[in-house]
Amino acid sequence: MVGIINSKAASVQFEGVSKTYGSDVWAVDDISLTIEPSTLVTLLGPSGCGKTTTLRMIAGLEIASKGRIFIGDKDVTKLPATDRDVSMVFQSYALFPHMSVFENVSYGLNYSGFSKTETRDRAMAGLEIVGLAGFEKRLPSELSGGQQQRVAVARALVLEPQVLLFDEPLSNLDAKLRRQVREEIREIQQDLGLTVVYVTHDQEEALAVSDRIIVMRNATIAQEGTPRELFEAPVDAFVADFIGEANLIPCQITKVTGETADISIGDYQYSLAARGMSPGAATVAVRPSRVQILASGTPDMITASIAKATYVGGHMEYTVDTPFGPLFALSGEVDQPFTVGQELALSFSGSGPVLLPAS
Amino acid sequence: MRKRTLIATGVMAVLMSATTTVAMAKDKMTLYCSAQDDWCQLMVNGFEEATGIDVSMTRKSSGETFAQLKAEASNPKGDVWWGGTGDPHLQAAEEGLTEPYVSGMREQLNDWAIAQATSAGDKTIGIYSGALGYGYNTDLLAANNLPEPACWQDLVKPEYKGHVQMANPNSSGTAYTTLATIVQLFGEDEGFEFMKGLHKNINQYTKSGSAPIKAAARGESTIGIVFMHDAVKQAVAGFPIKVVAPCEGTGYEIGSMSIVKDSRNPESAKKFYDWALSAEAQTLALQVNAFQVPSNKGSETSPSAPDLASIKLIDYDFAKYGSSDERKRLLKKWDDDVSVLPQ
Amino acid sequence: MRTVHSEAVSQPVLIFWIFIGWVGFLVLPWYAIEDGLFSFEWLFDGYPFDSDYAPAAFLVAQGEKLWLAPLILPIVAVLAAIGRAKNDPLYAKILIVSSAFGFAWLFFQGFGIGLRGWQFDSLEALFGPLGDRQFGMGYGALFMATSFLFLLTQGVAARGAINGDVFVVSAIGGVIAVISIFVFFPIAKMLTAAFITEDQTYSIAVFSSKFLDDRLWGVSCLSGGGKCGVAWNSLFLAVSVGAITTVLGLVFALVVTRSGFKHKRVLRALTVLPIITPPFVIGLAIILLFGLSGSITTFVADVFGIQPTRWIYGLPGVMIAQVLAFTPIAFLVLIGVVEGVSPSMEEAAQTLRASKWQVFRTVSFPLMRPGLANAFLLGFIESMADFGNPLVLGGNFDVLSTEIFFAIVGAQYDQGQAAVLAIVLLAFTLGAFYAQRFWLGKKSYTTVSGKGDAGVHPSMPSRLAIPVYIVAIAWSLFTVVIYVMIVFGSFVELWGVNNTLTFKHYITAFSFSWGEGDIRWTGAAWNSFWTTIQIAGISAPITAALGLLTAYLLTRQNFAGKSSFEFGTMLSFAIPGTVIGVSYILAFNVPPLELTGTGIILVISFVFRNMPVGVRAGIASMSQLDKSLDESSLTLGANSWQTFRRVILPLLKPAILAALVYSFVRAMTAVSAVIFLVSAEYDMATSYIIGRVENNDYGLAIAYSTTLIVVMLVAVGAMQLAVGRTAIGRRTSIKPES
Repeated sequence: MVGIINSKAASVQFEGVSKTYGSDVWAVDDISLTIEPSTLVTLLGPSGCGKTTTLRMIAGLEIASKGRIFIGDKDVTKLPATDRDVSMVFQSYALFPHMSVFENVSYGLNYSGFSKTETRDRAMAGLEIVGLAGFEKRLPSELSGGQQQRVAVARALVLEPQVLLFDEPLSNLDAKLRRQVREEIREIQQDLGLTVVYVTHDQEEALAVSDRIIVMRNATIAQEGTPRELFEAPVDAFVADFIGEANLIPCQITKVTGETADISIGDYQYSLAARGMSPGAATVAVRPSRVQILASGTPDMITASIAKATYVGGHMEYTVDTPFGPLFALSGEVDQPFTVGQELALSFSGSGPVLLPAS
Repeated sequence: MRKRTLIATGVMAVLMSATTTVAMAKDKMTLYCSAQDDWCQLMVNGFEEATGIDVSMTRKSSGETFAQLKAEASNPKGDVWWGGTGDPHLQAAEEGLTEPYVSGMREQLNDWAIAQATSAGDKTIGIYSGALGYGYNTDLLAANNLPEPACWQDLVKPEYKGHVQMANPNSSGTAYTTLATIVQLFGEDEGFEFMKGLHKNINQYTKSGSAPIKAAARGESTIGIVFMHDAVKQAVAGFPIKVVAPCEGTGYEIGSMSIVKDSRNPESAKKFYDWALSAEAQTLALQVNAFQVPSNKGSETSPSAPDLASIKLIDYDFAKYGSSDERKRLLKKWDDDVSVLPQ
Repeated sequence: MRTVHSEAVSQPVLIFWIFIGWVGFLVLPWYAIEDGLFSFEWLFDGYPFDSDYAPAAFLVAQGEKLWLAPLILPIVAVLAAIGRAKNDPLYAKILIVSSAFGFAWLFFQGFGIGLRGWQFDSLEALFGPLGDRQFGMGYGALFMATSFLFLLTQGVAARGAINGDVFVVSAIGGVIAVISIFVFFPIAKMLTAAFITEDQTYSIAVFSSKFLDDRLWGVSCLSGGGKCGVAWNSLFLAVSVGAITTVLGLVFALVVTRSGFKHKRVLRALTVLPIITPPFVIGLAIILLFGLSGSITTFVADVFGIQPTRWIYGLPGVMIAQVLAFTPIAFLVLIGVVEGVSPSMEEAAQTLRASKWQVFRTVSFPLMRPGLANAFLLGFIESMADFGNPLVLGGNFDVLSTEIFFAIVGAQYDQGQAAVLAIVLLAFTLGAFYAQRFWLGKKSYTTVSGKGDAGVHPSMPSRLAIPVYIVAIAWSLFTVVIYVMIVFGSFVELWGVNNTLTFKHYITAFSFSWGEGDIRWTGAAWNSFWTTIQIAGISAPITAALGLLTAYLLTRQNFAGKSSFEFGTMLSFAIPGTVIGVSYILAFNVPPLELTGTGIILVISFVFRNMPVGVRAGIASMSQLDKSLDESSLTLGANSWQTFRRVILPLLKPAILAALVYSFVRAMTAVSAVIFLVSAEYDMATSYIIGRVENNDYGLAIAYSTTLIVVMLVAVGAMQLAVGRTAIGRRTSIKPES
């Protein structure tokens, strides 16, 4: 039965798209992007960065002020939501409270020219996919949050949309459920080969579910890439800090030899990948987990002292005073933690730190 | 009840035309009525019963109806204009909005009704008449130890201060008739002196002509200057009202009827006209406590109705005091000289 | 599959409206049928050739009314749009150009040619005398105009307005069209009527002489002696009534929400009563109590030996009656506001060491200010428009609304004068409306955030509570006495003269008998009673529908000119009924829209008088519905009409019922606009009752009013039961919770 629901996954393409409100508010400013079919792409960024507007432009709930939008080969720039082959799962789920689960799931099918039996079969298949077979007579208010969420997914799925959109779908769930549901979403996406565009401001969620991530900032795209690319090679301090926290330390590039740059942070010398940068002021980004703290180290290490130590269960979080300011560090060693005021040696692990333009 | 019969006749009409395919256009006419509402309704029902002609009736004051006739002159919608004081009827005749018609019923009418017709080239006719006067609340009069008034001049006596009510001549035809009557009775200068004296005793100038006697009836005022038939009506309703025909003599109105020029249903209009002059139709007035004097000599009158023969009527100059210039002049004079005085 | 969706829908809709246009031109009688819209006698009476009943096409073919001929051009032209794709630029162009032309032509011929040929001398000078005339538009014209309007909106939608959403563009177009015709056009007509001289020419001098009249603006009462101007009288009365009702309304709201007062339900019931009471009935009861021969007056005069006076006639009487009648309105506005002040703010203030009185003075009261302003505005407008109480109790204290009435129906019959007075009245209410918006516009008072608020309202500080109790109890007693009087008055023979108990008045009004197998309604009141129920019943759903549609457009759609659209729809709220009545008479007494004397004009006047309340109710409940509900429906492939019908409407039941109840009750009790618009055939209960009052027939008037009150109590109670049930369903149905 599940087999009735297939995918008609299509690509999404933005060509120089802008969205303005009034004359001077730019919600989205001249962005171009391509989302390949059957991939899950996340739009990630702080609130107000334009990610939701971008999503709503794909849905047709906002019409672009400038530029062109394609779904598959079709130019849908001026097409309203009703006429686009796109479904969306809302943050609030937006289940119709006066309709049963079944009526909710078959709602869109009624407007898509399916026969009665087809509608019924598809709706039931959709509910089965999300594991809610047998709940079809309930009202949304009689379901738990996670179940409501799955009804919303089923309702969108059964239409076999060319693109399936998620607008922060997990933000109303508690932490444990969040992990479970996001795995289910990923699973369904991969099973059916759907094109999914997913908006979130939670970088962990983004890293976990995405094929690719588009990081947005101030109405523009800051960086686009796979989760690993973004985490390990952020283009700038903003991305570095947004995707997993980072210590941003000002430094000087003293010399560039081939692919390697020599930098100095105060008295401390260090070499890392140059990433095409030339000598001068720069920033080095170090993930807290890549800051290594040792009770005693070699003389070329930085001397530092513990300013704050917090026990958070799985690991220790430290704020460490260094000659160039405080750093944030993590340590898996919880049984014998450092104490506040303790002097120690500090270094960065080999592949962790990334050189970025000066911020 | 009327609704039911209407629906029934409607259904009948549809059925009949469906079966016979002959257009059964029922006789009909439109009546503009300027008398009191229940009287208008009664006339419509009576006429429908008597002739089977459908009447659609619009009730509006005589001033409004006159304006409507004027507006519709090129496309008259009404057929007969029945009721309302004579002035606007005369004015309509003057402006050629109504049609001359000499009814066979004339010989049954009082002279004053026919005089009204002759003065307008047969374009209108008197259907009822009412004399001006006043009424007082006997209880209140006694409670305030006031003497019983009998003449116009009694009303300006200082002991009646705050006890007299009349309508505002600007808004009420009745009150204008009072003003014109006083002017004709005492001459213009003395007449206005009288109005000034009266002004001191007035507790309220009402908007509507019959309101003063209603206030008196309810005991909210002692004396009300109105048409006598209005006062009689209150007395008959059980209120302690005594009607006074002023000793100096008094003016009167002639309620009139006219046929609209170029009307759509002239035949029905004439039928109504004749019927409305009949004793039978005029007797209907008693059912709605309209105590005006009917123009048909043969119609029944209420014993409570004022007897015009016993009242000293002045020779009211309808032509002069009905003209809009004279009217405006007198009203302005009253506004400027009388209404602004302190009370 | 979904990409063809809108095309598949747009063609049948297009063809439907084109068809309607053709029907209007070819089939239906072009001019209004004299016997009314719902009479079909014309079908058998010379149709289609008789020129009274002929469709436009037949008229033109017979060589009559040739100015209708050009109307064929647009309806032929739009045929070219059939079969074209919606995004074909020609599609939009054809529709817009031809329907705009058709609409404009319809408009200009309608206003250009009237009962006496050319309506304007300039046209006569240009084309020579016409030698023909035309009457009011009828079915044919109505169909054609509607067709042009919606073809135009389809063209505009096809050009991409509002994302090409035909339903939304059509809804906006429709609302704008009806508001223009039934709100702005009459007002504009009234404004021009103020400048018309006796010989039908326009003159500023006429206006200024009427406008600057001493009777309007005189101030001689201040210096003693003479009377003050009517405008000042009205203004003073309205400001006082607005202020007093606001204070009293606040008092009751405080008693109900912030005190341990035990009989809150009784108090609430008492405050509902005046709303369902025809307004002047209270005036009558006051005369019966305080008039020269009133019970209390007589009693006091006997006991204390005081000479009774007519003090109640004039400002005091009118003010007392209006305060009694309008306090409940202020109460209903304020109770929402008083309840709406977030308790946690008051609790926060208390924890910051403010005393109860200080909390009230510095936090609660300021937060209630928008409600106070609103309540004041309502009281002000109601007082300005009130007609019944000044009529009964005014004495020599003239106010604008009664002056307007007597300018129209009195012996002076001066429409120009009525128009000038109405303009002054309108200026006052619009001024208050503007002032309120201006004052509130700058500040935000939102305290209800949608987040749960677990706090409890503090009870009143005692220095507030004691006076509040006293006022509330005194007022309640007074109200009870008044209503006992009203009921008692309906059962006595002749009030004050003969106090024998009798059912006479009820029998006169509502008797019926059994005859020939069915009921014969022999009572005098049945005619107006059924008409009232009918008109109220028809107008209530229309009001609710139009109000909610407008609310939907205002809350859910964005379009150019939305703020002026909003202002336009709210404007009729600030227009007193008296002004509506006068302007409707001026605007709809002559072609092209002849509506006076019909039941339709009553329905229309109620719809546009009460629509703002429907809009407000709709906005309030729609803003509680998460917008993502509509959006998800749209992304699921439903269009905006389907979304409105399947998702929004079912969730708005409480608002729909509220709007229905309100417009039904208002239609039953309204006087001010109605009094101008009733006719013999369509008499309303209130105007019939006023007629009885004018006839000194208090018993019948009061018996009728009492019956109306009972009927409305039953109706409101039934509707409230229905609302209560859906409200339970709704608790679980607001936004899904996690």
